[in-house]
Amino acid sequence: MLDTIKSFIETELLSGREIDSGENLLLSGLVDSLGVMRLVAFIEVKFGLKVPAADIKLVNFATLDAIVAYVGARAEQ
Amino acid sequence: MGIQKPDLLHRPVSKAAERHPDKVAFRCIEAELTYADLHARASSLARALQESGVRRGDRVGLYLNKSLESAIALFATMQAGAAYVPLDPGAPTDRVCAILRHCEARAAITHEARRRDAEAAIQGSGVAAVIGLDEPLKGIAQSLTWDQALSAPPAPAVAPGASELDLAYIIFTSGSTGVPKGIMHTHASGMSYARMAAGLYGLRPEDRLSNASPLHFDMSTFDYFCAPLVGATTTIIPEPYLKLPASLAELIEAERLTIWYSVPFALTQMLHFGDLAARDLSSLRWVLYGGEPFVPKHLETLTRLLPNARFSNVYGPAEVNQCTWFNLPGVWREEDSQPPIGWMCPNADGLIVDEERREVAAGEMGELAVRTPTMMRGYWRRPELNARAFLRRPNSGQVDDVYYLTGDLAWRRPDGALMFAGRRDRQIKTRGYRVELDEVEEALAAHDAVAEAAAFATGNDDGLVLIEAAVVLRTGAVACDRDLAAFAAKLLPSYATPARLRVVDAFPRTTTGKIDRNRLADEAAERHLGGA
Repeated sequence: MLDTIKSFIETELLSGREIDSGENLLLSGLVDSLGVMRLVAFIEVKFGLKVPAADIKLVNFATLDAIVAYVGARAEQ
Repeated sequence: MGIQKPDLLHRPVSKAAERHPDKVAFRCIEAELTYADLHARASSLARALQESGVRRGDRVGLYLNKSLESAIALFATMQAGAAYVPLDPGAPTDRVCAILRHCEARAAITHEARRRDAEAAIQGSGVAAVIGLDEPLKGIAQSLTWDQALSAPPAPAVAPGASELDLAYIIFTSGSTGVPKGIMHTHASGMSYARMAAGLYGLRPEDRLSNASPLHFDMSTFDYFCAPLVGATTTIIPEPYLKLPASLAELIEAERLTIWYSVPFALTQMLHFGDLAARDLSSLRWVLYGGEPFVPKHLETLTRLLPNARFSNVYGPAEVNQCTWFNLPGVWREEDSQPPIGWMCPNADGLIVDEERREVAAGEMGELAVRTPTMMRGYWRRPELNARAFLRRPNSGQVDDVYYLTGDLAWRRPDGALMFAGRRDRQIKTRGYRVELDEVEEALAAHDAVAEAAAFATGNDDGLVLIEAAVVLRTGAVACDRDLAAFAAKLLPSYATPARLRVVDAFPRTTTGKIDRNRLADEAAERHLGGA
């Protein structure tokens, strides 16, 4: 799962730039607001889950680790 | 009455520090600065800048993520007698370096967290002094940490020789020749705007303002300059919150903000993804929006969700700050396909002119020209642009009235409201940012494999404008759309980088042989509808 999400972010959102799993993706324009929405759409399709609006927040989307933890927790529900 | 000191943009901070030192001036996440703190720190940093060689009239680049430090840096630069140049922390470092070089910045203020970018952007830019890094940059002799700068003794409130006519800040925006253009504002034009806006919206000491806009976006001057005039508090919203609508709505609720100001995009994102119905946003008394049109159906939904707030449409190119406004409800008419941009602000005079720059007849369309004390001094070192930007009309045969030609087409309704009707040139707005499509094409054409590039804008029902591009390669050259997108991303700010890019064999042409960009845009729209 980590690799799938990492590869989507790197190739689709960052034109090939590599990221660390703990790197803040939202600081200084690395991923912009449209990028966040594309990421949410990707996660919904890829992992077959619905991301409620209230979950699209910092604690769940600031880093790759946070995204993986969030998707993992949601998938278990 | 004593002798008046010049009315400078940073002075309201020191006055507020005398009158109510413990009142909070700026907040950011959990941290805050009172007016006394802000004044003390800005005064020390101003001294540190002066001791680093910054003199009246110099330029100082601010290369910071939005934070309490950016507020201190902005007021300190002006107190030192210099003009601040806000740099986009998300822009390619080459672009930042080019801006620092073009405006011949004497110093730059940054932060250790940005060290890697600062190295690339500041080294080789000609900047002689850097404040904010723990270790000096190679080749830059003068270097102070934030701690060192903040322990300097205070600088005088007014720098030697300072005047209201001095430059206070320069905001760089997309330029059609590929070189960003610097919009120069003086203390006088900035202060005229702050006073006008504070009056227009009846700002009070108990208000809590948002700072949603980045510093390099002209909307931020409202957040930073109006609040100190009345001793109100501004909450600086870090970039990540603006990308996460639910976090943003939570923050508005937690901070009990009373005045919000942003582009419509931030508000429609919150409307769609912010779970607004679950939030208590009753503290909001004003929602100001500008930078681009608000899609009427979303605006109406938002007004229903926020019944305590009044809404105001703010219009004005960065060159004149704000020049028209209208408040909801009351100006919208069934027969209008879009709301007006509004009425001229109390201190502004608007004129609609034809191609020969003569005033058009009542109700006819033309270019909007604006005369106002909130108008810029001009573009930094761009005489050819300055020659075109202003319209001088003799008044009483004695003095010239000077108008800024906005490039925006408009017409006036019989009730006086101004209606927007597009652009004279190829400038577009995407999420509030101005982008010259010519600049996007120049960036793509700079790639060795590219023979010709065409950039155009496409939109969706939500009012979201995207930049797209098509390129034709040189004979025998090989490059894929991804390489080209990555190349453009190194030259352009992220908001100006094409969201979609295609390599095509040939462009459609108009009968005169020009690239038919309208057809490219129509074809792109059809492809998106078709789901391709």
